[in-house]
This record gives sequence, structure tokens and C-alpha cells, in this order.
Amino acid sequence: MPFDSARSGPDRRRLLKGGAAGTVMGAVGIAAGVALPATTASAATADVAAFTSTDPLRHLLRRATYGATPQSEAELRGLGAVAWLDRQLQPATIDDAVCDSFLTRFPLLNLDIAGVRAEVTAGRLPVGAFGVMQDLARAAVARATWSNRQLLEVMVDFWSNHLNVTTPSSDVWDNRHTYDRMIRASALGRFVDLLKGSAFSPAMLSYLDNRSSTKANPNENYGRELLELHTVGMVYTEADVAQAARLLTGMTVDRKTGQYRYDANQHAVGPVTVLGFSHPNATAAGGEAAVSALLDYLAMHPATAARIARKLCVRFVSDDPPAALISRLAQVYLTAGSAVAPVLRALFTSPEFAASIGAKVRTPMEDLVATLRVLGITPEPIDAAGGNPAGTEAIRALEWTLQSAGHAPMRWGTPDGYPDVAALWASTTGYLVRWNAHLNIAANWYPKQLGRPESMVRYLLPTLPTTYGGLVDAVALQLVGMRLRPEHTAALLSFLGKAATTALKPTDNALNGKFGYLVALVLDSPYFSVR
Amino acid sequence: MMMAKNTSDCGCAQPPSLSRRGVLGRALAVGAGGALASLSGEGLATRLAFAATPYAGDTLVVLSLRGGFDGLSAVVPAGDPDYYRARPTIGVPKERLIAGDSMFGLHPALAPLRELWQAGNLAAIHAVGQPNPSRSHFQAMEELERAAPGTSLRTGWLDRTLGLLGATGSFSGVSVGRPLPSRALSGPAPDLSLNSIDAFKLSGDSPDTRMAAALRDLYTNAPAMMAAPARAVSDAVTTTTALSATGYVPANGAVYPETALGKAMRDVARLTKGDVGLMAAYVDFGDWDMHQGLGTAVAGQRMYDHLADLAAALSAFATDLGQTGMSNVTVLTMSEFGRRVHENGSMGADHGNGNAMLLLGGAVRGNKVYGDWPGLAANRLVAGDLAATTDYRAVIGEILQRRCGVTDLAGVFPGVKASAFGLVDARPQIATPAAVKKKPTATGSR
Repeated sequence: MPFDSARSGPDRRRLLKGGAAGTVMGAVGIAAGVALPATTASAATADVAAFTSTDPLRHLLRRATYGATPQSEAELRGLGAVAWLDRQLQPATIDDAVCDSFLTRFPLLNLDIAGVRAEVTAGRLPVGAFGVMQDLARAAVARATWSNRQLLEVMVDFWSNHLNVTTPSSDVWDNRHTYDRMIRASALGRFVDLLKGSAFSPAMLSYLDNRSSTKANPNENYGRELLELHTVGMVYTEADVAQAARLLTGMTVDRKTGQYRYDANQHAVGPVTVLGFSHPNATAAGGEAAVSALLDYLAMHPATAARIARKLCVRFVSDDPPAALISRLAQVYLTAGSAVAPVLRALFTSPEFAASIGAKVRTPMEDLVATLRVLGITPEPIDAAGGNPAGTEAIRALEWTLQSAGHAPMRWGTPDGYPDVAALWASTTGYLVRWNAHLNIAANWYPKQLGRPESMVRYLLPTLPTTYGGLVDAVALQLVGMRLRPEHTAALLSFLGKAATTALKPTDNALNGKFGYLVALVLDSPYFSVR
Repeated sequence: MMMAKNTSDCGCAQPPSLSRRGVLGRALAVGAGGALASLSGEGLATRLAFAATPYAGDTLVVLSLRGGFDGLSAVVPAGDPDYYRARPTIGVPKERLIAGDSMFGLHPALAPLRELWQAGNLAAIHAVGQPNPSRSHFQAMEELERAAPGTSLRTGWLDRTLGLLGATGSFSGVSVGRPLPSRALSGPAPDLSLNSIDAFKLSGDSPDTRMAAALRDLYTNAPAMMAAPARAVSDAVTTTTALSATGYVPANGAVYPETALGKAMRDVARLTKGDVGLMAAYVDFGDWDMHQGLGTAVAGQRMYDHLADLAAALSAFATDLGQTGMSNVTVLTMSEFGRRVHENGSMGADHGNGNAMLLLGGAVRGNKVYGDWPGLAANRLVAGDLAATTDYRAVIGEILQRRCGVTDLAGVFPGVKASAFGLVDARPQIATPAAVKKKPTATGSR
């Protein structure tokens, strides 16, 4: 089982399999003329620099978004990095009509808990209704692909993993989408609000069993993960867990309404001490306020600041991020009262970020969404006659593809959330699923309902190259922002069965039946895997 | 637990640390085999034979009961009076237990395994645990799979095992049933992860569109972390496609449950019988974290239903492989920790320590619960937990030595001595992998 490296430090599979991420840093440092400690043998350093476009704006797009589109690249080049970042940090100012319009196809997501339950009572949803949760996951794929509020979407994913509530699961069938709403509202806000939002949510209280905890026999599940995963990390003692679990008693979910409820009768009173926090917890009626005080304390604990800073660096900088950057960002976090935007601003403008080109590898979700974005894929049309009256067939298929890669949104089975380091995604099945998806999408085999440019050739190649060598270069430049190394260009020419200098005609198979294969192979290559 | 890389702690035949060059070299060597096989144009048997590793030991099937398996519910210490005192609600009543002895009995949901137990093919080892227990799932899982506390080893224990046994084929170690590989297989020895055999196919590869060949070339000189899995796909996909085309009908009327575990065990049987060179399979069977609603021992309750799934899948697997097949297979279960002795207020139990392991195989000396039972009296518990009197690695070590041909156990589990319970018959023809061809033994289950 994979583990969150933000919690446990450098991953051993990564170290073992050759320290590729460290290699990347070294390589980039040399390539960019920045002095970074050499972490691996020089023989390896040529590799990754040669697999990644070193354009700093492309670097920012690869990291802060789900992948470049021609439009997003033009916008970034027009605004410059700082203004673009400011805009992304104020998502409400960004028009998102295309995505919003598509999301109206998931009307259940607009319901509150009572509304979902009313649908069941009215017989319009089956009891236990997994449909709401499934729609939520599909909407997440759509948002990642088509929202212009890209940094918001990336951060929603980040916090959804940090405060993971596995979806679908039967105990959150009616509330998981409201939990998502809570995360979306504060994803660029303050961590303390996210922490409290989760603590007082029926989703988290159900998922980690606090709802059934009793004052006589406190259930430790949530208390432990609140400390270990959500806040300070592995610095707690078993006594801290027991104390936290005791303080959390009484925070439950109303069986009738499915809403959060505080049951003072089940709250264990008496003094509580957790990691230097202490509270008299003298009355049953005051239990919630005492919990709130604990959450305030935990959110601003230096260990929490360091963990969140590190986790953000693992997301955006490298799998084994520089300690100095983590330490600076932790300080920004504390100074800002756990506000996230200042931390992100400091991160994306840091020299460590600039020097980290090529140091991250795309996860399956990032890979699939980047594929859709770079190929100009648009939402599927509603097509009642064609068997797609809801206009959600394709997005269902895409979400299913992510399931088979082990990376569908919110689906990670344990409370620690998806891993975020390349080594843990270095899976044969992950590669196979990605490769098959690239070809299925590029060749328009599956899912067929997706909207796509009228001609993929013209979309990717506004000017037709005149030779096969030019064709391979042009496709590579469009998809990965650079020409491939000679041996890889040769591999593609060999696939096409042509020499570099052979003349290319519009009627050639390479621009017709084989074009999708060529596109897929560039997407399959290591170049596209680099984030 | 993350320390600087230091190879000197490991006595492995293959160093656990690996240079990039090493990964590539290994991947290339395997890759060359795959390329040759696909060029040969011969039938499945030839290709599979080519892929097979001349390994002389048992196929080891590791079932990871992730989430904290409640060994106290599965292998119930009904003869210990403190058990029922600690678990007034979820304790399994003595009269419902099946098999076992005067102290222990099996949970009624394990009924499909009763015959295997009574025939001596199934055993349990109780009060097993980790030497440095943690109640954190994540830390405990990581240590469970690394299995070398206090050392700087970074590899998984199953990877080290495969390394010592000279594994080279792409199917030496396979994580079956989920897309991500087990951390027990982390390291230089080749490993695959498969959702299923039937789903492991490459789209678009044809004589006119040689995708597999192009993909192989595209990963030339690629960073090792990308190149290794990419090449492993290219190497394995020919074999899985051939296996899939052949189809599969379980033998002896075996019926696997239509669950994720049932499907995974069916694929393990397929790989085992397909002679693809499978040395170790790893199957993840999670969702044992029953803080709430572990429940009473009746159908519909979480523990009951989950154990029933486990029992049905293992029973089908044993039936499918038959006596001869099972004489070359050992299945073992493990979990990151057991659960608290005292139940909580949610009809469940929180994280604990000491646990039970199950052992299934033709050579298992079963119908018995092994271990040194520490008792559940208050003064015998450790922080409310069943004390672990046997290191789980000692149990695995006994299997590795007697069934898999591991002679240098320190290379897998530094500083661990194999248990001497006599859990299994020693495999007679164990020798160095290169010297002995695997062939079925005549001794079946007793």
C-alpha cells in the first residue's frame, strides 16, 4: 500500500529505483545554471533535462494546472507569471461558463443532504443512492479538464486528498458532495476553516466512525487520523490519541436527518491535554467549543505548518523537496494564520520552484486530463438520438478509465489520500491504462461521444510540415513543447516506416489513419509524463 | 525510518541498493527476452516456457489483510475466559465456533475452509506481531512490508526474497487485483501489477502499427523510474494477451466468489498453472479496519461477511489447484496489526497489536493453531493489546527456508531467526534455483 510521502519522508521505492527525482533536480540545476547539490551520478543527469522543455512558463502551467492548452498558454504569456497567479488565486473573477454549463448535467450535486433524502423518499433515487457520489467523481474529471479556474481545481484535489473521505462508500452516500462543497469554498482560503469544516461534517464523522463513539468507550479512529494525517503527523503519543478521542465524543450524525449533531449526553467531560493543548472541558454543553479550540490549536501547530508546507512542495516542486523551502513556507503559513494563497504565491515564485523543472511525474489523473486538454477535447454534446440524452456518457467512461488506473477522483481507499510521488505510481498497470487511453482518445475510438476539433491534424498542425522529420518535430513541439531526442524521433519515423527527409503529402496515411497513433505515441513517451 | 542508503546492512545475494544502470540493465535483459519471444512467432507454450524461471520452490501467495485484521475474531481464544469479558457484544460464542481445539476455534464464517483445516492443509499461528508495533496504519503497513526495522534497507521483503532466489522473469513477483504494486515488492527484482490478466492488453498493436516496438524504443535512455515499468509492460503484455486468449475454466468444479478477492485468486491460479514463472503473488484484501460494526458472528455483519469472502476465495483456489498444484503453493495471510482486545462502543474494536496468521498449502502441517499464547488477562496485555509473542517474520522465514529455498534468511529479514514450529514439511528438492527444475511433487495434501 502506498503512503503519503509528505508524512513519511523520502520514499524508499524512489530511492531504490534510482533516485530519479533527485536526478532531475541535479540535472535541472546544471541546465539552468543554478547551483544545486549533485544528488546522483553525472551519468544520469543528461537524461531528464533532455526530456523536459525548460521554458519557465510551460513549467508553471505543467505544475499549477492540469496541463497546457493553447488558450491557457496564451493567457499566461500575456499576463506574465505573477499576474496570472494572482488571477488564479481569485477564481471568482475568472469566467467559467463552459464548465458551469456542463456541470448542470449533474443536478443532484446541487441538492443538500435533505434534498438527496427527499429524492429517495419520492422514489426518484434508490435507497443508499451511490449516484450522487458517482456524479461527484465524474464532475471532478470535468472540472479538472474544462474549468478555467485551474489552480482552484488542483487545490480542491489537494485538500480532498489531505482530508480524504473515500468515495463512493455507503456511509457518506447523502453527504459526500456537500463535503466537497465545503472543500471548494476554502480550498484557496484558510486551513483552519477546512479542518473545522471536516471536523463538523457528517462525512468525516461517518467515515472515521466518530458518529458512533461513546463517552464510555471512545472510538479512536477519527482522533488518531486528526492528529496523524490531518494536522501534526507522527509526533503524537497514544495518550494524545486517547485524549483527543475522548474530547471528540458527542460529535455525531443525526440518524433521522443525516446532519451533523452534537449530542451532549455522549460527551465525556473533564480536563483534556493533547500535544501541549489543554482545556478544562468542564461541561457537556461546552464540548463543541472545546473541540473548536483544539482545532484552532492544531491548525496553527508548527508541526502542522511544516507538514502542509512539505505536502504542497511535494505536489508542486519535487518528490523530495528542499528543506529550506519547506521551512520558509511553513513560516509564511503561520504568519498568514493558515491562509493558503500566500503560501502558494511564495512557493511558485521561489527559486526552488524555478529550479525544479522536470522534477515531477504526472499521475494517471494528471496524465489523462492533460491529454484531453492538449488535444482540444470539449464536453460531449447532448445527443438523445445517439443514446446520450444526459450528455454524460463520455465523462463516465473517462472516470472509469481512471478507476482502472487506480486514480479516480476521491476513490483512494484509506484516509491518507492518494500518494503524490512518482515512485508510487510507477506501476505497470498505470502505464498500460495511460497508453491505451492516449490511443483511444487520439484515434477517436473511445469514448466516442467527446467533442473534438473538426480535424485533429489541423488543430495540432496549423501549417503542414513538408517532410516526415518535420511531422514528428511538429507533433512533438505541439504536445510536449520540444523536439524529441534523435533516438526517439528515429523510433517514430521507424513506426511510420519513413525517412526524415521523405516528402509528406496531405493524403499520406500518417496524416490520416495513422495520425492518431503518432499522437498517442508522443503522449506515451517519457516527455509527456513529466509534469 | 527513512535513513541514508547503506548497503552494508544487507547480506543479500543481490545488493538492495540499485544504481540506475542496474535497473536499466535488468530491464533491458528482461526486455531482450520478451523481444526474442515475440519474434519467435511460436505458440503460447514456447513463449511461456521462455518466460519461465527455473525456480525450485513453492509459489508463495501473500494475502495482505490490510486495515488491521481482527485475529481474535477469526481464530477465537474461546478457552481464555478473559476473551468474553473483554468482548461482551462482539465475542464469537463458543457454540458457534468450528474446528479448532480446546483453546481456539474458527469463526463460523470460515466454514468453507473447514475441510482444508481438518485435512491438515490449513493452520493458524496466533499472537503474531511486529517487533516494533505501531497503531498507525500507515507506519505499521510500511514497516510490515519493509520488514527490516532498525536497518537502512529500503526494499520490500518480498523483493529481497525474489532477489535471493535469482528471479529474472517479468512474472516473478506479481501484485494481482489492483493497479498499484505492493510495497513488499519494492526494489530491484522485477515485478508487475495487474488489475486482471484479461485487462492487461495493449491497444492498437498490429503488424501495420507496431506500437509495442515503438514504445520500447521510446523508453530508450529514459529515466529509470519511467523506463522500468514501461519495459515491464512491453515484456509482459504478450504473455497476458496469450493467456487471456486461451480463456480459463477453473478445475475440479471450483467456483470462485464474484468478488474482487475471488477474481484476484482466480488470476493467481491462472498464473500459477500457466507456468509463466510466478514465484510470488501478492493480493491485497483490505477493509478490515472495523472500528465500527465489526458485529456479531452472523451473516450481514462486517466481520462475518468479510471472512466468508476470504474463506470462499481460498477454498476455491485450493480446489482449483488440486492436490498436486497445492503441493507447490503456500498461501499466507498477514496484516499490519491486530485489534484491541476490549471492544469499543461502536460494536467494533480499535487498533491493537497481536494477531493471527493463516497458512494454507499442500505441505502445511495444519489442523492446528501454533504459537505461544500469552493470555488475555489484564496483566498479560500490553497497553490493552494482545501481546505479540512471535515475530511474523520468523513465521514467514520458516516458510521461506523450508519451502522456497531461501538459505540466507538474514538477506530477507536481518537478524531474524526462523520459527521452529514445524509449520510445513520441508520441500525435498530445495536447492539452488539454477540446478533444479520445478516439477510437481507426488505428495499432495494429507
